[in-house]
Amino acid sequence: MADTVKITIDDIEHEVPAGMNLIDAAKLCGVDIPVFCYHPKLGHDGNCRMCLVELGLPRKNRETGEMELAWFPKLETACTQKTCEGMAIRTTTERVTDARRAVLEFLLSSHPLDCPICDKGGECPLQNLTMAHGPGTSRMYWEDRMHLGKHVALGELIFLDQERCIHCARCIRFQEKIALDPVLGFDMRGRKQQIVTSSTPGFNSIFSGNTTDICPVGALTTADFRFNARPWEMVQVATICSHCPVGCNMSFDTRTDRLAGGRTTIRRVMPRQNEAVNEIWICDKGRFARHYMEHEERLTTPLVRKGGMLVEATWEEAIREVAAQLKAAGPNIGAVAGGRLSNEDLYALQKLIRGQGSGDLSAYLPNATGGEIAARFGVGVGTNLKYLGAGDAIVVVASDLHEEAPIWWLRAAAAARRGAELIVISGRETRLDVEASQSIRCAYGAEVATLNAMLGSLPKTAVKAGESLDGMAEAIVHAKEFTADAALKAAAKTIAGAGNAVIFVGSEGLTGEASRELAQASANLLAATGHVGRANNGLIIVWPSANGQGAADMGFDPGFGPGYQPVDKPGRSYGDIFAALADDVIKVLVIAGADPVYDDLTAEESIRKTKGFIVVQEMFLTETAKLADVVLPVQSAAECEGTYTSGERRVQRFYPAVEPLGESLPAWLITQRIGEVLGQGAPSVSAAVLLAEIGRNVPQYAGITCQTLAKVEEQFPDVGGEDLYYGGTSFQNVRGLGVQWPTLAEQVDAPLSVAPAQAGEVLEPADGEMIVVPVTLVYDTEALFFKTQLLHQRVPLPHIGLNPADAGRLDMVDGDLVSLTIDDHRVAAAAYLDERVPSGVVTIPRRLQTQGAPLFATTAPVVKLEKVEA
Amino acid sequence: MSLLERRKEDIERHLAKYPQKQSAVMPLLYIAQEEYGYITEEAMEEIASIVDTDVTQVRGIVGFYTMYYSQEKGKYLIQICTDLPCALRGAEAFSAKVCEALGIQPGETTDDGLFTVENVMCIGACDRAPVIQVNFKFYENMDMDSFNDLIEALRREHDAMQPYSHE
Ligand code: SF4
Ligand code: SF4
Ligand code: FES
Ligand code: FES
Repeated sequence: MADTVKITIDDIEHEVPAGMNLIDAAKLCGVDIPVFCYHPKLGHDGNCRMCLVELGLPRKNRETGEMELAWFPKLETACTQKTCEGMAIRTTTERVTDARRAVLEFLLSSHPLDCPICDKGGECPLQNLTMAHGPGTSRMYWEDRMHLGKHVALGELIFLDQERCIHCARCIRFQEKIALDPVLGFDMRGRKQQIVTSSTPGFNSIFSGNTTDICPVGALTTADFRFNARPWEMVQVATICSHCPVGCNMSFDTRTDRLAGGRTTIRRVMPRQNEAVNEIWICDKGRFARHYMEHEERLTTPLVRKGGMLVEATWEEAIREVAAQLKAAGPNIGAVAGGRLSNEDLYALQKLIRGQGSGDLSAYLPNATGGEIAARFGVGVGTNLKYLGAGDAIVVVASDLHEEAPIWWLRAAAAARRGAELIVISGRETRLDVEASQSIRCAYGAEVATLNAMLGSLPKTAVKAGESLDGMAEAIVHAKEFTADAALKAAAKTIAGAGNAVIFVGSEGLTGEASRELAQASANLLAATGHVGRANNGLIIVWPSANGQGAADMGFDPGFGPGYQPVDKPGRSYGDIFAALADDVIKVLVIAGADPVYDDLTAEESIRKTKGFIVVQEMFLTETAKLADVVLPVQSAAECEGTYTSGERRVQRFYPAVEPLGESLPAWLITQRIGEVLGQGAPSVSAAVLLAEIGRNVPQYAGITCQTLAKVEEQFPDVGGEDLYYGGTSFQNVRGLGVQWPTLAEQVDAPLSVAPAQAGEVLEPADGEMIVVPVTLVYDTEALFFKTQLLHQRVPLPHIGLNPADAGRLDMVDGDLVSLTIDDHRVAAAAYLDERVPSGVVTIPRRLQTQGAPLFATTAPVVKLEKVEA
Repeated sequence: MSLLERRKEDIERHLAKYPQKQSAVMPLLYIAQEEYGYITEEAMEEIASIVDTDVTQVRGIVGFYTMYYSQEKGKYLIQICTDLPCALRGAEAFSAKVCEALGIQPGETTDDGLFTVENVMCIGACDRAPVIQVNFKFYENMDMDSFNDLIEALRREHDAMQPYSHE
């Protein structure tokens, strides 16, 4: 515990942390000092004057030499004070209440008072503080109000009502200090002062929605929610974002209404506070990309192929058909599961497939693997990136965090600004490089070699902590075969010397095998330097989807059973599954929550070629579903319950918010019904019961139940609830903070070992070829995401990233058509010249063009396509 | 021609003065104003990229300081002080008469694009009120006669600078 000091608030003495912001300290003591511009996450700005208090500080009396309390002659802004011994404030005197009234009168002097049609009405700090402290009447001439724009679009996502803005600058400061996209500013001055953005597109930031939560008035509203419902009409349902491995806690705010034919619908998505995960923020993808859930194209009945056509069928018929096929195929079956499936869905699916004697289970996308390494050397229980700062180190390898896991990007960048050493190791420059203390460029394919070289460069003294670990000696001897240049040596030294160290292990361009080695190399480096087995230390895998960790935990990894238990015979990898399908070795393939036909350049070929039977569990008739023999409509995460495991191994629960669409069922239930026909036993009564079964069979999940997941504890700062004025409208977490399961490294006497990490081949393009790297963008045309029209303008056009020098060599300019030929598949798109793409490399965003993209980095001939006149 | 091409040396001189590039925004804005007469959209964008910030930040500064102009203004900018001391010596009435004589409102520009009138805060010559600045040059103890003479002189100056025409 930090040093504490005694301060006196309204004649009562309290003990509070020393040097804490006075507003926060008072809040801890249960005293609310009203604020507008101050925000616990943004710090003070001192511009609104709402927080005025009487302030006294101890001072030496010159005559007597005694210490005495001296009161400042004027009121002081509490938000600009830090607690110190003997500090005293008064917050209830007449002078203070008068001042508050005056500030409110001033703020309201030009306020439109359109609360009845204002989206913030009902959860508005200005309304609430006016009720508590304001004047009941105004002395101002109503006609003298300044009239400004009411519906100013700051881009298509956020709207500004200039009249309502009280110029607290919270939104500007959020963009500057937290989102690091300084695209908002004030224009003009005095009463004409207004928020502007000049970026292209307007308000260009993937965190823009958060400004609407912290805006203390209804000046900023989202296009998604404005005029959509009143805050008090909605029911909040706790949920977990299903778009990336961060696992942000969110709320679906629902309303049952006549307009929707008596159905309950989601009216908005709001962040829910979890200080260890997303604090009080979410990215715009999580906030807005919800519309697929209620989309009219959702599948509502099972489809069965008859006479070459997919036709509607009953559940009974569909399930009978799938079960019969599975039965006939015996062990020659497999499953590919996307990371949007819950742990329950995944557990049920692997049980079905394994129950029939097959271990061919692959997670999708198959790039990231290494769940078992995270289970041993992942970040310790209690990890909170918020606590990383000066003296600590964060390494991000082979990942563009801004695009792949926005909130991790934001938190890693914040740690760097607090003084943590941020080391970025990747094949190309990304946005995180700007914040990095060290940027290391390595060739695609040389990631493992780079980390090995770092480990190898460390002197004996630096790797003492890991000495006694099984396999460490071999790992170090192996690592010494790699040479480190000065930059790598420096980076290794930084990590070895860091108080805490975390490595984000990405998979950009990597194959599943390579990413496992990369996780191993990261684990070796961390274990050698003593950065495992405790909070704020260890590795985090940047899974390509929300529940990648959960999928690995449930045994969607050819090498392991559920809970990383050994298997007799390893299953096939993703690539091998599709190859076996094409060769009719695999006779039934279940594809759940994944659309490889759209994303993966080669999957379609295998599916078209096979005589095997394809079962797809999906919400929409995706490109993959179109080729299936049976399509089973599943519920979205808004309709059912379940758990996701975040990249930090935090198991978190989501709850049903709206009624299921049509006849759709939870994915786990569909799977278990099929299993029932196959004699695997009756389906679970609920997802909660299934979670209990997981707890019994997956060692890491032992003891994790709905009850433990629902536990909450007090969080600081205290946002939401009654205190909207303080932290904004991010919700208080009342439905559970989740449970982070401990790694093996945290357990005493656990059989812990490391192994040498095998470096793969660096790609060597032949003449006329270049290295082609698939990259992930936050906004793309993925089947579910792209159902949200609102975000379409932010999705880039299909393009291929190219270094300007290479473009020059190929005689191309920005926008020319480039064509790549990868294993006889041609991908063509407009060239986008980008200096951050290294020479000799082209990047190709996944899920952006209909031809798909390669799954892993590869080499291919790159040519300019001549424009053909139509 | 970009601002950087036109005034490379000056811009670099200013950039070199500060530890952070962003600090040079204001002097660069003055350079833009000198070059184009007012601060154009393109100039704001160029300055933002020179000092490596978002154009929103540059726009905010232009909006905040009244001596940066984001609208095209007349060839001669007439600033009339109407702050309290000047007002006590009849500056408000003087401003009204000036506007009437030119047929415009404060903030507007004459149709021929020659004159823009603007009421401003104290310009530090209170003892010689009414006082005006024309393109930042002081003219003190003004009345309508001296003002009309001044306008005449400015028109002549402008005409003299026009190319000779045969028509
Ligand atoms: S828009 Fe809202 S957050 Fe931004 S300055 Fe105005 S009142 Fe504050
Ligand atoms: S950061 Fe990831 S988990 Fe959080 S809201 Fe965005 S997409 Fe969802
Ligand atoms: S001045 Fe203290 S909260 Fe605004
Ligand atoms: S008040 Fe006019 S110059 Fe000072």
